Amino acid sequence: MNQRSKLLIIDDEEIVLDSCTQILAGGDIQIVTASNGTLGLQLLKEFIPDLVFVDLKMPGISGLEVLEGIHDFDPNMVAIVITGYATVTSAVEAMKKGAYDFLPKPFTPDELRLIARRGLEKRRLILETVTLRKEKEMLREQFAAIVSHELKAPLGAVQQNLFVLVDELSNQLTDEQKNRFERMQTGIGDLIKMILTWLRALSVDVNKIQETFQPTSIASVVSKAVETVQTHATRKDIEIVPSIAEPLKPVNGDEGTLVETLVNLLNNAVKFSRSGSQIHLNVEEDENDVLISVIDSGIGISKEDLPYIFNDFYSGKSGQAVEKGSGIGLAITRRIVEAHHGAISVESEPGKGSTFTIRLPALKVPEHA
Amino acid sequence: MNTKIMMIDDDPDFVAGIKSILEKADYSVDVAHNPKDGFQALQAGRYDLLLLDIMMGRGAEGVALARKIRKDPKLKEMPVLIITGLREQIAFLFPGQSVHPHFVETDELVEKPVEPKLLLEKVSSLLALAEEKKQKVPG
Repeated sequence: MNQRSKLLIIDDEEIVLDSCTQILAGGDIQIVTASNGTLGLQLLKEFIPDLVFVDLKMPGISGLEVLEGIHDFDPNMVAIVITGYATVTSAVEAMKKGAYDFLPKPFTPDELRLIARRGLEKRRLILETVTLRKEKEMLREQFAAIVSHELKAPLGAVQQNLFVLVDELSNQLTDEQKNRFERMQTGIGDLIKMILTWLRALSVDVNKIQETFQPTSIASVVSKAVETVQTHATRKDIEIVPSIAEPLKPVNGDEGTLVETLVNLLNNAVKFSRSGSQIHLNVEEDENDVLISVIDSGIGISKEDLPYIFNDFYSGKSGQAVEKGSGIGLAITRRIVEAHHGAISVESEPGKGSTFTIRLPALKVPEHA
Repeated sequence: MNTKIMMIDDDPDFVAGIKSILEKADYSVDVAHNPKDGFQALQAGRYDLLLLDIMMGRGAEGVALARKIRKDPKLKEMPVLIITGLREQIAFLFPGQSVHPHFVETDELVEKPVEPKLLLEKVSSLLALAEEKKQKVPG
């Protein structure tokens, strides 16, 4: 069953209240009226209307103040101002305070019906958006549970049994068969890793790390990150050259996830660099921030791709023949940096290389400590 | 005497993959597929080690079971190897703690799937650790 739309009219002129009620009555609208702003705001809270008509010029609290009250109570409520002196200034001011539209006096019954219908339609769309947004959030939260149990668990069990089979059959398998087993294990291992990454990106609220922020040394973050990426770099014959302008102020943050961001950037740099090249990792300080730059001389990023690379699931459209990623790494990196109240930026030129820069607010070190 | 291991995990395929590694290494393994049956079996029998899954039933029921075990005078000394597919989330379920939250006196955490060699290493080191602790207690 469709719920009736609720309409509140606030105006000091009884004749306006009566005629509006008469014009709009019938149909599926329930109408309540108030003869001043204070009463109107009280009714608002009990009646919870979908649409409010407010006269701008009333004795007592003004229509603009009522608009503010409506907005504070529920920003999703639709308000339309009725104004007897339809000047552009008053209308603009009302719109600025959150009014959806305005109705100049005098108005014809048709004008009123039309604007009421439009206002209610607007309200319906707003409510629909709110519901959809809520549903999306719920889906996101449930995603963790669904993915981990329905996708990851069976893969884990398959992998577990592959381990066992290889072990039990180790004396009977030919090298070719062992090789095939290995490839299956690698494939499933990669799938599990990919699921974990998606899970991480979609279900975990990165801002939770803020609960455990503490003074963190960037030098230590850098050395841990470089250590993690070293094998990948060595295998491609790429040298990572860190350069840290000591002394550095610490940042307020979470070491684990900061290492993760840097590992993501370094891994990308390695992935998109040519064998035998160098990746520079520079850390310096300006007035308030610590700046970490990862500079490669690799294939670079095309102009079309550049604005999107920090978005979820974006892994490049330009079709270069390189390893493909999950398209999640940079999105996670950006979220972690933002959770640290920092910013990440990129400059790149195709064929010449890319520079990613993370800017994190430095901790103020007490003078006397 | 044969070392007895209890395994509590709701995924029969995964259990099969773990059980056969342990049995090949001469451990005797009993299995329960939910925390309730598992706890009953632990109280009724004598086990040297518990392999515990975290995500069972409606959520992290393994954690609740571990807490129950810690409070049980007979079971609290028993070493527990937590096998979970959820290492990533554990850090977020228990913010501020290390990736391995200590649920009971003697425990270790490995991720699913676990390589046979690593599994056997963890099991034997946990058993050794529990034995060591037992001998330190006088009387």
